[in-house]
This record gives sequence, C-alpha cells and structure tokens, in this order.
Amino acid sequence: MKVTGPPDIDLDRVWSGVAARVWCPKASRAERLAGWLLRSPGLARALLVTPSLMVGWLIASCVVLAAGVAATAGTGTPYVALFAPAIAAAGVAYAYGPAIDPAWELSQSMAVSDRMVLLTRALAVFGVNAVLGLIASAASGVAVAVTFGWLVPMTAICALALAAATLARSANVGVAAGVAGWAITVLAGRALAGTFTAALTTHSFVLPYLAFAACCGALVLYATRIPQGAR
Amino acid sequence: MNVELTELGRRFGRTQAVAGVSLQTGTGVFGLLGPNGAGKTSLLRMMATVLPPSSGRLELLGRDPREHACRREIRRRLGYLPQTLGYYPGFTVTEFVEYFALLKEMPPGKVPRAVVTAIERCGLGDKARSKLKSLSGGMLRRVGIAQAIVNDPELLLLDEPTAGLDPEQRVAFRALMREIGERSTVVLSTHLVEDVGAACTEVALMNQGRIVFHGTPVQLTARGEGTTAAGDAPLERGYSAVLAEART
Repeated sequence: MKVTGPPDIDLDRVWSGVAARVWCPKASRAERLAGWLLRSPGLARALLVTPSLMVGWLIASCVVLAAGVAATAGTGTPYVALFAPAIAAAGVAYAYGPAIDPAWELSQSMAVSDRMVLLTRALAVFGVNAVLGLIASAASGVAVAVTFGWLVPMTAICALALAAATLARSANVGVAAGVAGWAITVLAGRALAGTFTAALTTHSFVLPYLAFAACCGALVLYATRIPQGAR
Repeated sequence: MNVELTELGRRFGRTQAVAGVSLQTGTGVFGLLGPNGAGKTSLLRMMATVLPPSSGRLELLGRDPREHACRREIRRRLGYLPQTLGYYPGFTVTEFVEYFALLKEMPPGKVPRAVVTAIERCGLGDKARSKLKSLSGGMLRRVGIAQAIVNDPELLLLDEPTAGLDPEQRVAFRALMREIGERSTVVLSTHLVEDVGAACTEVALMNQGRIVFHGTPVQLTARGEGTTAAGDAPLERGYSAVLAEART
C-alpha cells in the first residue's frame, strides 16, 4: 500500500532518516575514540570487527601465542625474541589475507590502505590476547611470562607503530617505528642482564632462524605489497 | 572520459589474460561480453585497481592509479562487485554495507542514510537486519550490489552482477543500472547477452584477451543479420557472428 503524506513532507526522506537510526545505531564511544585517534572511522571499524572475523582471529591468535612462547623461552639468544614479531606479523597477514579472509578481494579496492588495516588488525589481535593473558595471569602463573614478556609489550609496540603510521600517513613508517621499538626493548633487556655479546654469538641455530624470520618478513611484504608500478 | 585504457595488458605466467586493450568510455552503461576465459574479469580487476597491469596505461576518472594519492581518490569514487563476493557470515546486511562504506572513506555523518538508500535501492529493506549467512545466493548478490553503490560511485564495476538473480530481480537490476548510468560510468561484465541489450548503451566483446567488437547493442545485432550464426535472439546471433569471425 502506498502511503501519501502532506505535500510538503517527503515521506521517503523521513523513512530513510528513521531507518538510518534503527538500522545503523550510533557508533560506540570506543569506536568514536578509535576513529578520532586513527583519523579514520574505517580503520576504527576494522579494528573493532577484527575479533569477530572468527577463522582469521583464531589462526592469528594461535600464531601470535606460539611466537610469544618461542620469544619468551630461555633460548639464551636475543634473535628468537628479535624476530618473533616477523612470525607474528606473517601469521596475522595470512589470517586476514586472500586465503582466509572471504572479503579480501573487495577490501583491496577500498580507499583505506590495506597495510594500515593490517596494522590495526595486529593491534587488535595483540590487544585482546593481552587482556586475556592478564586475566589468565591473575588465575595462574603459567601465562605470566608470555603475557608480560610478549603480549603486553607487543600491544604497546603495535600501538606505537599505528600511532607513527597515522601521524606520518604511511604504514611503512609505522612498521619501522614498531621494529625499532621492539629491537630497543629486546636488546636493552639483554644488555641490562649482561648477556648481550655472548647471546649474539654462541648459538649454532642462529643462521637457520634468521633465514626463517627473513622468509616471514618476505611473506608479510608479499601479502601487503603495493601493486607493481603503483608506488 | 571516466575510463581510458591504452594498450592495457596483463600476463599470468605464460598466459596472456589481457592483450593490448584500448578503450575509452564516459557516462552510461558499458557492457563487456565474451566467452569464459576471454579476459573480462582480469580487465575489470585492473579497472578496480585490485590487479596491476603488466603493460599499457590506465586512467580512471581522470587520474593515474599508479600514484598512491590518485589511487586512493579513485577508490573513494569507485564501486566494485567482484565475480565471487566474499562476505562475513556473521554480519548483518546493514553492517556489511556500512563497513565497506566506511572503508571507502565516506564522511561518517552521511553513511547511515547512504546505507539505507543503497539497501532500499537493491530491494533488501526487509532483510536489512538479517545475517548474511541466512540469505539466498540472489540476495547475497544484491547485498554485493548495495555495497558497490553505497558511495554513489562515479565509476561502477560489476562482474557478473545478475548471476543468481531471478527474472524479476534482473529486470529491477537493469532499471537500477540505467538510472545510475545517467550520471556515472557503469561497466558490466556478463555472459548474458539480454542484460546488455536491455541495459547497455555501449558494448565491447572480448575474445582471448582482445576486444574484437566495440559499438552499440544495435550495431552488434546488425553483425548477426543475414548470417547463419547461432542464437535465439538477434543480439545473440550478432554475438556469435562476431566471435566466429574472430576465431577464423
């Protein structure tokens, strides 16, 4: 049934206004704050919906936790901890990449940079797992090392990377800031413990590990590459 | 001109998917026809800035997508429906369309009304709050079209948009395309010749990565007249005649 209203009222416009209110509820305070901090409501939404993309979320969380266990294990060398973020980043990039993310093709045609989206997703993965780690640490001492030696600092590093990327309007600058921040954290910790030189030189598995980490780095670059000739 | 392609090519290993395509088109509905593997999807993906060309030059909405700032600007004004629409099953129709509206960097204040308008235009008003996993294939296709048109794009690229739509929905879709084509450039890749006849102002036929015909649907129909080309409708006979000629 077609409803007609007074001639000076556009019922279609009234309806779309009502439907907009009902269908699209106002963004939460957290999303508005994230949108303001990131200068992008799109990135804020990507940040908040990351945990709800369940398959990608589970894979990314598993890789991040496995990298955290390796990074905080007493291997005696800083290389494991130094390059663990490359493994974690590769995991997040894979989890939200073409093989897993159903809407990846569509996302590639969006104005918001896919590298910035990847940074926000890394922050979401580390941040939520850090909160879970803190809860687990309160209940049991088993999770303390991974939570305070990996998840919490990496959440801070991801936040630093995202802040740098937002300010510089470049995801590459953000990644560089994150890598530098993490390297300083790890190396300063070793230097304070007096194990820096010995730890760098005395382990036989250093080269294979470095090669593996380089492959992970290459995977991240490949997954987030800028199209050929489009730099 | 909203789309200007000059000797555009794309190679996947040894396969030349698109081989030196040159094309210009402005406002209106442009149909891209061709058999499977003709290179339509690769050409559309290049226009959507998802796939970089291996050779040639591409200019969209007067900008060169190789430049980061230009590419971003193009993407703000672009609507794209991929051949296979991936979706997040737990999202509602509104959440999905709203998510991509935000990723297209629409002004946040305009997003809710734009989302409602896009959903209504695609006839999904009564499903706005339904989860995507509960929708049929045809409805999902319409959700894909809704996210493509939510930013009122100046360039709309649709890959097999009518796949899975019933006849009534296809008629409504063609009317929507004609309406959008009055102000924007719509590029429609399809197997269905009748979609081109009903909605397009211009048509190109691709075969083995090349454009073998470029003209109006009337001109394509004329190519089939007086031939023994296969087809149940005049436009189909024109399509078959051009393809047969290209293959010999």
